[in-house]
Order: sequence, then C-alpha cells, then structure tokens
Amino acid sequence: MNSADFTVLLPLIVLGSTAVVVMLAIAFHRSHPLTATLTEIGLAVAFWSLWPAAAAVPRQVTPLLIVDRFALYYFGLILAATFAVVLMAYGYLERHDVRREEFYVLLVVAALGSLVLVASDHFVSFFLGLEILSVTLYALAAYLTDREIALEAGMKYLVLAAASAAFLLFGMALVYAETGTMEFPALAAQLAEGGAAHIWVLAGVAFMVTGFGFKLAVVPFHLWTPDVYQGAPAPVTAFIASVSKGAMFAILLRFFYQSGSRDLHASLLIFAIIAVASMIAGNLMALFQNNVKRILAYSSIAHLGYLLVAFEAGGPIGAAAGTFYLTAYMVTTLGAFGVIAALSSSGRDAEEIEDYRGLFWRRPVLAVVFTAMLFSLAGIPLTAGFLGKFYTVAAGASAAIWSLIFVLVVTSAIGLFYYLRVVVALYATEPAPDEAERPPLPAVPAMGGLTLAALTGVLIWLGVYPQVVLNAIRAAMSALF
Amino acid sequence: MASLFYIAAIVAVLATILMLTRLNPVHALLYLTVSLLAVAVVFFTLGAPFMAALEVIVYAGAIMVLFVFVVMLLNLGKHTVDAERPLARPEAFTGPGILAAILLFEVVFVLARAQSRTFVLAQVGPREVGLSLYGPYLLGVELASILLLGALVGAYHVGSRRAQGRTGVVRSDRVRVAAGGDLVRAGDDRSSGPA
Repeated sequence: MNSADFTVLLPLIVLGSTAVVVMLAIAFHRSHPLTATLTEIGLAVAFWSLWPAAAAVPRQVTPLLIVDRFALYYFGLILAATFAVVLMAYGYLERHDVRREEFYVLLVVAALGSLVLVASDHFVSFFLGLEILSVTLYALAAYLTDREIALEAGMKYLVLAAASAAFLLFGMALVYAETGTMEFPALAAQLAEGGAAHIWVLAGVAFMVTGFGFKLAVVPFHLWTPDVYQGAPAPVTAFIASVSKGAMFAILLRFFYQSGSRDLHASLLIFAIIAVASMIAGNLMALFQNNVKRILAYSSIAHLGYLLVAFEAGGPIGAAAGTFYLTAYMVTTLGAFGVIAALSSSGRDAEEIEDYRGLFWRRPVLAVVFTAMLFSLAGIPLTAGFLGKFYTVAAGASAAIWSLIFVLVVTSAIGLFYYLRVVVALYATEPAPDEAERPPLPAVPAMGGLTLAALTGVLIWLGVYPQVVLNAIRAAMSALF
Repeated sequence: MASLFYIAAIVAVLATILMLTRLNPVHALLYLTVSLLAVAVVFFTLGAPFMAALEVIVYAGAIMVLFVFVVMLLNLGKHTVDAERPLARPEAFTGPGILAAILLFEVVFVLARAQSRTFVLAQVGPREVGLSLYGPYLLGVELASILLLGALVGAYHVGSRRAQGRTGVVRSDRVRVAAGGDLVRAGDDRSSGPA
C-alpha cells in the first residue's frame, strides 16, 4: 500500500481512529458532552477527507476495496446521516438513565462498517462490512437495557440477521465454488463466458438475494422490521432506516451491476416479484397500524420496493434514480425519526398516534417539520420524496417496465391514506379527553431542533432545486458503468 | 480419499442436527463439540491441516473452555450435583461417542496412509495462510479487528449490570428462582423438576 492508497482510504482511517479515540476518552474521562463532541469532530474530519480522496479516485486498494466516485458519494451520504443521528441522539440520551457514552463508539463503528460495505468489490470485504454493521446494530437496538421491548428488538435482530448472514455466506460459497473468484469484476468476466447458466451460480445468487433482502427489509424478508423499529431507541431506528439500508442498497447496486449478476434473467425476475410484493404488502399493512414507528416501518418496506423499481429499470438512469430516491428517503426518514426522538420522554418513545394528536397547538414547529417529512414520504410535490418518485417512474418508463410502474402508482395512492391520517392527528383541534392528565411534552433539545430544521431545509431544497445533487449523482454513477 | 471427506461431512451435519434438537444444553454442547471436530476433519481431508488445527484449538478448545468457565463462574452449589446426576447417564454419551469414534477412525486411517493422499490437490500450510492474510488481505484482518472492537463494546454495554439498573438485578434473581436456582435444570429436567 502506498500513499495514494492511504489517501483514498482516509475516510475509513479517520473513522476507525475516531472509534478508538472516543473509546479511550471514555476510559479516562466519562463525559457525555465530550464524547459526543469528539464523535462529531471525527465524523466532520472524515467528511472533509472526502475531498483529498476525490482527487485520487478511482483506485483499487488491495483486492478488497475499491474507492471510486460511486463509493465517495455514498461515503458522504453515510457520514452526513451519522452526523445527524449523533446530534439527535445527544438530546435523546440525556433524558435516559443509562451509560450514554458507549453509544457513540458503537455508532461510529457501525458507520465504518457501512463505509466498508459501499466500497467493497470482494466477497470478503462485503461480508466483513456487513458483519461490522450488524453486530454493532444488535447492541444499539438493545441499547436502553432497562426496556424489555428494546432487548426484544435487539434479540430478534440478532437471530434473524445471523440467519440471513448464513444464507448470504452460503450463497457466496456456492458462487465461489463454481467460478473460483470472489472479486466482482472477475466474476463478471466468468459470467460473461457462460458460467451464468450454471445451476450453482443461480442457486448462489438466490441465496445472496435472501441476505440482501433481509437487510433491505423487503417482502418476504421483512418480518423483523416493525418489531425492531418499534423497540429500538428512536435515533437507532433512524440509523437503521437510513444508513444501514442505504449502504445495503449501494452494495446491491455495485454487486449486481459490476458482477453482471443483474443480467441474469432469474435475478431480474426475483427482484421484480420482491418489489411488487414489498410495495403492496408494505402499504397495505401500514394501513392497520396505530403506532407511528410501526407505520414508518411498513412504509419503509414499501419505499424499498419503490427503490427496487429503480434497480429493475437498470442502466445509468435507473442507478441514478435509485440513488436520488435513496438520498431523499434518508433525509426524510432521519427527519421523521428525529421528531419522534425529540418528543420521547425517559419512560417511553412517543410512538402512538395519540401522542401526536393536536401537536400543532402545543409544538407548532415540530408539527410542521413532521408534516413536511410525511408529505415527502407520501410523495407530495415540492418535497424531495416527490422528485424521487418522479425520477423512479421516469427511469421505469425508459425501461418500459409498465407493470411495476402501475403497482408503484397505485400503492403510492394507498400510502397517502396512512400518512395523511397522522397529519390529520397533528392538526386535530379538539383536545384529547384526558388533556389535563397528559404529561408535559419534553423540551426540544437545541441540537436536535437545529438538526430537524436543517433536514427540513434540505428536504425542500432537494424538492425544488435538485440540480446540484443530481449532477453529483450522475458523476458518481458513471463509475459503475 | 473423497469418501473420507463425505463421511466427515455427514458426521458434521448429523452432529449439528442432533445438537439443535437436544433439549438439555449440556448434551447439546457435547454434539456441538463433535460437530466442530468433524469440520476440522473436513479441513484435514481437503488438504488444509493448519485450518484443521485452528478449528480444534480455537473452537473445540477455547470456546468449549469458555463454556466450562461460565458454568464454573455460576458457582453452583452442592444441590447441582444431584441435578446433574441424571445428565451423566451413559446413554448421554453414546451418540457423541459413536460420531467421535468415526472421526478418530478417519484421522488414524489418513495418518496411517499418509503417502497415498491423491484426493488432496494442494497442501495449504501456515506459511501460505500467513502470507495471504498479511499480504492481499491485510485490510480484512484490520476490519476483523474493528468487528471485534464493536462486538466487545456492545457486549460490555448490554451485559453490564449497572446499565440495567436495580430492576434488572431483581428480575434476574426472580428468573433464577423460577428456574429452580441453577442453570442445569433449565434443560429438559425443568418440566419434571420442583420449580
């Protein structure tokens, strides 16, 4: 490894050092503000190091990692989202009587795993990145150890993620046994020579789809989603919904585009079925929920289905549409869970629709922010979510996958209902019957409030003037083709 | 020699199935040990003696010792001796014993006919493993260390008593009482026990 290798790996190196520095700082002096500040500095420096790295890309560093413009775009997305999660988590953890500092070590390590994931073009780094992400998420989901529901969430995530990792690993083994390579580009060469038709390669890819599907929480691998979303602390849920899924979608794009597995007829068919099932099941099941976290969980299943439509469309247009959709979704979902985190008290998270009834009259700014996020999820114009859906439909139309677009449009219309149901509750005028007995809302922490304001700003900026981000995405996607 | 591989593989699968279906954790651990040993023999027949040794040392050795330590640290009193008596019946060792005997036979057979190993394509020794781990896969080693760091911090937090607060301590005491006061009875004896 020479200096250029280290330059492109700077974001990973900085983040790895941050984890160690924060851990040592905790060992010597336990202080919540200090730990959070160190974490934010580390994340900011890692974000800054994207620029020196950008001057040296694309570069293959050892057979394991490739840093190209595609990876750098997702690096930026993951680092920015983690930065926002830390800001939200600070105020949230202040209200809880737990040891708060370890949270940041785990979060940084999880972000590092996500970075490895988006930069890997080898089965070994793919699996290691995935495991770093998963193992830290088990602990993060169960972080509030005095809540039984959080422990249950952590346990469910552990068992199911371990099972899906076994599927993924077995799939990799089958592909390796048949093709003799674990590097994506070499795999593409093998498949192009006709190895694709071999039954073991197909079986291997099918097993890998299971692993991907679990992490993306698409039907039929979605069963953990509502329970984990509900049980995990709100900032952790925000992290799972944004960073974990974003990194997984990035590796999905890279693996299936670069290894040529996407060109297999079978994998396109599998993903089309998964996309349709996710869009329909996610939206229908969300209709029957009264818990806002569970509504968002089912809505995330549907949104991943929409993302797979962009994946199905294929080509640079599909990849760009998917990445834009994901960017918009990450901003939106961070904002939505940020509101939940800001309203949560020490005893429980604010997750029932009843908690939000008449919120506008008590906390007008938070209610407006939440409304903006829900509108974006529903795909109302002037928000990022609308443009995301627009580009996805456009990409689908260019690939003439009309049946998928039809399902997307119909299920989006169904989705409107449950988003608007929450919005209506926000602005309901009649006070709840036990208004006097309701506990006072916790004060919105300054950092969390600023983060939410910034996220709303980004949401509208993306919805009104997406050109800057779109150009960045197009430049990034050129690395895949 | 291919048949040796298949025999060891079948033993591994059988031992794993039996491990999963045992109701008593101690019996399950016996089968787990056999399963790990069988995987070691699989590595051996495939020409990776170093991996086989690691499998025995790390999994069948260290991890099993860890289980034993946990049982010791629980500091079970005299009454557990009575509770364990039914577990130590000879039948409990028959299954794992037979499977382990098959593996032993295989290893002896291979060692006795060391000259005629035609099934093995290439021997992968410690040198090759070390060169590839600290050559092209150096980053993989570093990432594995990060993985362990994350797992360690996570286990430390979730497992620590102080983080659980008072309620957690009380609850775990109640669980102990409900389970009959010792770990061993958490298995198939629990239904018939006086809990």
